[in-house]
This record gives sequence, structure tokens and C-alpha cells, in this order.
Amino acid sequence: MRISLDRMKYNQEGILLGINNEISQHLAGMGVRAGKKIKMITREPLKGPVVILVDHASISLGMGIADKLTVEVDE
Amino acid sequence: MKVLLMGHPNVGKSVIFNRLTGANVVSSNYPGTTVDYTQGCMRVFDRDIEIRDVPGTFSLEAKDKAEEVAVKMLMENPDAKIICVIDASKLERGLYLALEIIERGFPLVLALNMWDVALDKNTVVDIQKLEAILGIPVVPTVAISGEGISTLVEKLIDVEPVDILDISNAIKVSRMMTSPGCAGCKGCSLS
Repeated sequence: MRISLDRMKYNQEGILLGINNEISQHLAGMGVRAGKKIKMITREPLKGPVVILVDHASISLGMGIADKLTVEVDE
Repeated sequence: MKVLLMGHPNVGKSVIFNRLTGANVVSSNYPGTTVDYTQGCMRVFDRDIEIRDVPGTFSLEAKDKAEEVAVKMLMENPDAKIICVIDASKLERGLYLALEIIERGFPLVLALNMWDVALDKNTVVDIQKLEAILGIPVVPTVAISGEGISTLVEKLIDVEPVDILDISNAIKVSRMMTSPGCAGCKGCSLS
């Protein structure tokens, strides 16, 4: 099933699908790239940032970016 | 000879800088401590080497002021040699920046810092293979205790730029050797 990253549940794992070019320039340096296995570990309240785990590194993403990323999840 | 210390925020560039120069630049346990650069000198085998501690950056497409300083410093010193510092336990994401710098034609030595932390996390890095693929020296370091710093300096002296295409070919060859059957890497089209 494909959902946007901001709709992932706690501890849910997924594979990151394509990222549009503009955002990917922002994220590639932090190791967030298409095909990466990610895990959602925290979501801050009041539309706060989402924290995901990529290759043992936790990365916090603002909602404005998180809702533009698509993730393939089980279910 | 000019040397720039580059790498992600919070990987230990300033600690390495202090080790190399004997200076006492502020370093702390959170990212973004260095926002401007510090310059220092060291003398190795009767050669004066000028070292600059560059603010941390994730890539060469600057996204904030500190990153702009970092990218500008790299571009203003086309004759510089680079020590790219990477958190050894988060190797993959650090390589992105290293490859970007190599792509722009700079000679580069890779310092896998926080090697002790990586060992604690059971991260295994095959240094020889990494060196073979990248064609550059790779040195495990523990900046806070000084481990590997002298090796880093030795390797830095004669480092040469490498062609990014050689690296991309080396990766294809390495994939062919490690995968049974066709890995779909199109490596067979290589001459």
C-alpha cells in the first residue's frame, strides 16, 4: 500500500518511493533517497516534525516535506 | 599546501582540527557548533600546511548560511586537499558528500571518525575494499583519543584526485564479483 510519509504510524516500516527532484536535492545528503528502508519513530504533535530512522540515523522532517514523500508499506 | 576539513555537522571535524593544530576550537556534542571557519597551521616533514576547519554541510547544494560558507570555501580554494570526515557508524550517508567533492576534482582523504562508536554498534567496515573501490586513502580515526590522526596526515601528503567514472566502474565490478548470476548492474557492457 502506498501512503504519504506523514500518515505512517509509530514504528511502522516502509520503503521510500520516488522523491521529486527539488526535495531530493535537500534530502539526498542526509541519506534519504528512493529505495531506502525507513522506520517512523516519532511524530510531534500540532503538525510538528516527523522523525524517521534511515540506516541507523534518525532524521527529522518537517510536515511540508513529509507529506510530499510517498512510502510503500505492508498491510 | 592548503587543507580543508569537510564533513557532515557533528562528526568531529573541529576535534580533528584541534588534534592537528594544537588549537582549542570550541567543539560540542551537538551539530552546528562551527558556523564560521577557523584557520590553523601545522608542519609536517618540513612542509607548512594550512588547515581550515569548515562548517558542517550535508551536500554541496547549500541550504543555510553555515552550509553556504562551507561550499564557498571549497570553491574559493581549488588547489586545496580535502579531509572528508565521516561518522563511521553512518558511513553511507557521509559518502554522498565525499563523492560530490571527488566529482569536483579535489584530492580527498576519507577519515572514518568515531571508529570506536562504530565498533560498539557492531558496524563492520571493510576499509581495504572501500579504498579499492574509491581509489583514495581511507583512515579509521578516533579524534577524541587521537587514534589514526598521524596516519591521516601521512596519507594526506601524497593524495591525488580520482576520476568519479573510475569509482562508478569499480562499484560495478565489485557488484559483479559479489553477486551470483546477473545483478542487473549492466557491468557486462564495460570493456
